[in-house]
Amino acid sequence: MNGSAIERVFRAAGGRIIAALAGRFRDLSLAEDAFSESCVRALTAWRERGMPDDPAAWLYQVAGRVALDMLRRQRTRRQLAPEQPPAEADAEDVMTADSYVIPDDRLRLIFICCHPAVAPDSRAALTLRLVCGLTVTEIARAFLVEDTALAQRLVRAKRKIADAAIPFELPSPEDWPERIEAILSTIEVAYAKAHEDAAGLSPHAGFAAEMLHLASMLAELVPDAGEVHALAALLHYAEARRPARVDAAGVMVPLSAQDPALWRRDLIRRADSLLAAAVRLAPDAVRTLQARLQACWCARSSLSDPAPWRRIRDIYDELLLVRDDPIVRLNRAVAVAELEGAEAALAELEGLDGERLAQFGPYHAVRADLLTRTGRIEEARLAYAVLLALDPPPAERQWLSGRLGELTSRLH
Amino acid sequence: MKYALLIYEDEALYGPDKSGPKIAEIVGKHMTFTQELGARRIGGSGLRATSAATTIRTVAGKKTVHDGPFAEAKEQLGGFYLIEAADLDEAIAIAKRVPVLQDGSIEIRPLLEP
Repeated sequence: MNGSAIERVFRAAGGRIIAALAGRFRDLSLAEDAFSESCVRALTAWRERGMPDDPAAWLYQVAGRVALDMLRRQRTRRQLAPEQPPAEADAEDVMTADSYVIPDDRLRLIFICCHPAVAPDSRAALTLRLVCGLTVTEIARAFLVEDTALAQRLVRAKRKIADAAIPFELPSPEDWPERIEAILSTIEVAYAKAHEDAAGLSPHAGFAAEMLHLASMLAELVPDAGEVHALAALLHYAEARRPARVDAAGVMVPLSAQDPALWRRDLIRRADSLLAAAVRLAPDAVRTLQARLQACWCARSSLSDPAPWRRIRDIYDELLLVRDDPIVRLNRAVAVAELEGAEAALAELEGLDGERLAQFGPYHAVRADLLTRTGRIEEARLAYAVLLALDPPPAERQWLSGRLGELTSRLH
Repeated sequence: MKYALLIYEDEALYGPDKSGPKIAEIVGKHMTFTQELGARRIGGSGLRATSAATTIRTVAGKKTVHDGPFAEAKEQLGGFYLIEAADLDEAIAIAKRVPVLQDGSIEIRPLLEP
């Protein structure tokens, strides 16, 4: 049995065990420490005696006893009467225990980690650490911060949860919409980081898979929340297209030019069924509409299929009814350019608040493209230059530099 | 768990020295709310305007007396409740019902003594 097999067991079982311990002892730090200690003990015990029938159950039983020990020591230190030690389970019991002894408290743990009273940038980190079992170093690398800074952030978040008495119960029904929203936006932000760099070279890319897993888990745990299915569908569509997002030279490929043969059909099928649930449960939700946009693209089977611009524009029209903001209008303009021409799309862009979009890369990208198509080369070059100054990720930078080079040569 | 709910509003809404017509309106709402809270309210009060505030500052061991609140801000501490709640979610639910005239903020702070 090698070390990485054991590591995989720890990671796969960690979320559920920490969640169960947290639910039982109402203490996140205790749950985390007890689980770590059980992993340390497993390393020795399993090397000597082999892996038990059900490693997760073994870890849970041992971690439970470790947690009780830790609590007893805390009481003794505070000079309270020590509690009676619990009856020791014998080795045989632990070796043959079944996972059904572990209650599934992961949803409660997700609700705690993503409580709106926890700082937004700490929610994703805490969820990745406790529910997904990522190490502090992995999360720190993903968020581009120092290990020590991230560790401190986690400590502060756990202290806030304990000090403010964030409950270990599921929220009451009237609070669900607000609380689910906090979870969804946490997953969205974390996934957006993973997805930012088309080449998937950034350290964020590693946990895109974790976010997918978490969204699927959530859809299973809260089967009647439409937006949860919609977000899970969105993530699956986006992840399905990852292999086609850069070419062999590492240059970004725009969505409409991606070869559908490279897309992952397994993820698209899963996304389609998640979307079907979302459309049934929450047809007008913003995330459902966004997932439908993705579905239009992912329905293409080859580049010779006509691009679905008309349906894209129609869905943006629906989206405008529930969320009229400059970004939706900007994206709609891209479809308008294909259907009615670049002049019409530029006219729509004129109506947007350029100040507000100044730091938003896609605004400059769309504008530069439309200006090029209408022959306003100088202005287009300026827009590309502004965009490059916003420091886009490498694959996009290469693509943009290519476009800018083309324009420059056209001028001469 | 015991929590303090600190109420921040722009006190100018209530007129000079909180003597305007709006003050009777908000006091009435607080009285109704206090009745609804029943035993979960352990204490609290409205505060007079910051024009009545006096601040003692200690700098390097030396204490000086100043006119006015400790910090100038757009919204001022105007009153507080001390409540008993099972956990933060219950405290949040109660804090959401604290009456405010227009815009304002309720800061929820757990007390040091549990």
